[in-house]
Amino acid sequence: MNPFHSLARLARRARLFVARDAAEQSMDDEMRYHIECEARDRMARGQDEASAWRSARQTFGGLDRFKEEGRDARGTRLAEDLQMDARYAVRVLRRSPAFALASLITLALGIGATTAIFSVVRGVLLRPLPYAEPERLAVLWERNVPRNHDENVVSVPNFEAWRARSLAFDAMAGMVPAPLTLTGLGDAQRVRGAEVSSTFFTMLGARPLLGRVFASGEGERAPANVIVLSHRFWLEHFRGEQGVMGRAAILDGSPRTVIGVMPADFEPPRVGWMQDPEFWIPFTPTASNRSWGRFLIVIGRLGKGVSIDRARADQERISAALAVEDKADAQWSSSVKGLTEQIIGDVRTQLWVLMVAVGLLLAMAIANVANLTLAQLRRREHEIAVRGALGATRPRLIRQLLTQSALLGIAGGIAGVLAAFWGVHALIGLLPTDAPRAGSIRIDGAVLAVAALTSVVAVILFGAWPTLHGTKDRLAGALGESGHRGTSDRLGGGALIVAEVALAVGVSVIAGLAMRSFLSLRSVELGFDARDVVVMRIALPGQRYQTNAQQVAFFESLLGAARGLPGVQSAGTINIRPFGGGGPATTVAAEGKSDQDLSNAPVTDVRVADGDYFRTLRIALVAGRTFGAQDVAGAPARAVVSRSVARQLWPGEDAIGKRVKVNLNNGIVAEVIGVVADVRAMDARTAPRPAVYLAFGQSNWSVMDIVVRGDAGGAGGAAALVPAVRKRVAELDAALPVYQVAPMSELVSASTASERFTSILLASFALTSLVLAGVGIYGVLSGDVVRRRREIGIRLALGARPYRMLTLVLRRGLARAALGVALGLAGSLALTRSMRALLFEVSPADPVSFGLVALLLLAIAAIATLVPAVRASRVGPAVAMRGE
Amino acid sequence: MRETKTELLQGTLDLLILKALAAGTLHGWAISKRIRLMSRDVLEVNQGSLYPALYRLEDRGWIASEPGESPEGRRIKLYTLSAQGRKQLAREVEAWGLFSGAVNHVLRTS
Repeated sequence: MNPFHSLARLARRARLFVARDAAEQSMDDEMRYHIECEARDRMARGQDEASAWRSARQTFGGLDRFKEEGRDARGTRLAEDLQMDARYAVRVLRRSPAFALASLITLALGIGATTAIFSVVRGVLLRPLPYAEPERLAVLWERNVPRNHDENVVSVPNFEAWRARSLAFDAMAGMVPAPLTLTGLGDAQRVRGAEVSSTFFTMLGARPLLGRVFASGEGERAPANVIVLSHRFWLEHFRGEQGVMGRAAILDGSPRTVIGVMPADFEPPRVGWMQDPEFWIPFTPTASNRSWGRFLIVIGRLGKGVSIDRARADQERISAALAVEDKADAQWSSSVKGLTEQIIGDVRTQLWVLMVAVGLLLAMAIANVANLTLAQLRRREHEIAVRGALGATRPRLIRQLLTQSALLGIAGGIAGVLAAFWGVHALIGLLPTDAPRAGSIRIDGAVLAVAALTSVVAVILFGAWPTLHGTKDRLAGALGESGHRGTSDRLGGGALIVAEVALAVGVSVIAGLAMRSFLSLRSVELGFDARDVVVMRIALPGQRYQTNAQQVAFFESLLGAARGLPGVQSAGTINIRPFGGGGPATTVAAEGKSDQDLSNAPVTDVRVADGDYFRTLRIALVAGRTFGAQDVAGAPARAVVSRSVARQLWPGEDAIGKRVKVNLNNGIVAEVIGVVADVRAMDARTAPRPAVYLAFGQSNWSVMDIVVRGDAGGAGGAAALVPAVRKRVAELDAALPVYQVAPMSELVSASTASERFTSILLASFALTSLVLAGVGIYGVLSGDVVRRRREIGIRLALGARPYRMLTLVLRRGLARAALGVALGLAGSLALTRSMRALLFEVSPADPVSFGLVALLLLAIAAIATLVPAVRASRVGPAVAMRGE
Repeated sequence: MRETKTELLQGTLDLLILKALAAGTLHGWAISKRIRLMSRDVLEVNQGSLYPALYRLEDRGWIASEPGESPEGRRIKLYTLSAQGRKQLAREVEAWGLFSGAVNHVLRTS
């Protein structure tokens, strides 16, 4: 049959179904008219009226029988039955509101949580990146061979060489963050932008909302004073005006012409230290930045049909040649990583763990509703038996019961999706600010389809299993006896307890590990004291602060003013605050010792600080002194090193007074005057990095972080000091923006935001799973006790002690819970191995988490078992024997 | 009037209804009457079972029904052969020809 005919047929059926009362009437009319015609025909042929009518009726046959056959033939039978079943189911559900409500809430919870988490997984992991052919985009890194560091930023000469020599890539774009000071549009502000190669936008396939993006080669050979604005920048600083093209934005003192505005949904690739830029300006390779070392992030578009592996091989070929050509590249090769993998690789495990946990939770919700359905079925078994006796067939009964489950499933699914809309909103609010691709998380068609599919599967599981199970002997079992059941019932309930406990163990173990990991991350020794400290950043424009002495003088007078403020205990400065991202790092060596080969030389962070920096952050002084007023330009160069540097360069010796060679700015040699504790400078997770501190007074840095410690417990915390410091800055120079202002403690907690996010979610899943497990165990066992009241009563009547009944039920519940715990622990052990990458100083088989979860579930099982058990022990023998 | 009636073969009722409607629009009883007349009173449609058959054919789209009026002015249901039904009739006539030819052949050779 062709599809058009099938559709027409469906439409006919739908019409008939809608107008089925009219159809019924017309069938009746038609049949009666037939008999009438037949009778008249017979009369016309000479039969008398009475016998004509009689034989007309006779030849027609049973009116009702043919009506019934007619209804079948109309093809609307299924729909009519379904409607009847649905009405019936609604009636039943309204008669047992507690059951309906409990099932609905449980289902909505399971489906809602699953849908919400899935929409995050889909938005972040499954939805392709919003670029043209995103699978052909890759990130190109330099690879430090001796240190086996795969993802190092790229030097300008190497980027240029790659671009010229590559056989694998159609295009490449370099980019680097460009924080600049914006003036001329309201107060001076520090704005985070990016310098990008002219190919950047076209390579991604990104189109502007207004104007144009960079033309091919624009700004590559000579600087081009043009700028492309992000949607936010455009709204914020140009009030979304259409006529913005051609206007100027003054950045670091030089005007740039606006040539384009990107749409709001443009998602710039977040790679490494590239945050979301607010504007883009052309990157121009110059003699100066060619000598800066490695700092570019490079993205490339692979040629059609070129695999990542082939690109990697080609890149290694080029790097091998470069290593020979330039001594500076001798230790370097290159690596290539797919852009998608680069952006979402870090969160993949985390999100899949959440997905697994929520899946287990959903399974528990389904098991609980299955148990509720089974219990409801048992309460209705008398009614069902009656209906069976009156001729309802088993398929018909099953269909009726399934209709009820389907209704619950649909209602639960809808409620779940509504809850998910709210949940996704809440999740996005909870997400750490640096979470990749948060903007693409939403409930879309695919998410809804999965929610619908989940509901269907849920209905099949929680509806079909108890129904098939429950109607099997129900119909055979005669009407009058409903007091004792076969063993199959108890088996069903028992399996539920085991399954629920095992699932709850799984969810809780995952949550336990995540929380333990989070806690150990929070309590890790950072090497500095973040409490009561606020930090802010100031950039001195080169035009007005040209000399080193001017820059130092400005910061010295600002710090002096800040130290005099009420509520300020100390104030210091450093070029890059802890938890403020990467900074300069290089190889260092002990002067005088034979130059070991470079691959063994330790790489350390290089920081520029004043002496008060260490006091302000309470970084422990291990030996010697920190910088003082005497360490100024012209005085001998001095350095403070962290403990691990001292140990590596001068093992077993006193570092004070030794001279350290720092491979920066053509080599710096400084006398070590102090040794301080190692500090976790990147984030809480990354191990402390060795650091060499150079005296601020002897260096030239125009962008510095100011750290200020307030009185402990001062009103409003350290952040309350910010306005006063800002005022001092304005007094010194009104055109200087103060930016990246944050309490140090906030930076610390922000660095664990992603762990907090997972822990909070998993903890709430675990809590829900514990409640579900408790309710489930309680439900099964109290149903058990009610059903076995007669048996218990007889035993009591025959002299069994009440406490024996108590222990009977307790044993039954706890034995199954113990089995569930054992299965759950074994399953978790297999499951949590894949969590290893997420865990900080906690083993995936952490005995504390596993042990606590086991105890917790046994305790919950004991509590959930105790109530029905006590009830069993109090069954009055006489009451029980009378029956229901 | 001959009183020997032949029971309909399973499945031939559909064919007869389609054939009866091929000549024009009819109501239910008129269809059974026409079948009787066309078969010279040999084939007797089991009258009640005509209706389930009509509904089935309508569901398949081979015949269509429309409201009409009887000579006495009563609202009745009239059936028409659809274009699809006409094709189906041709197919069934052909199949019947093959079938009856084969049966006749079997009967003659025995």
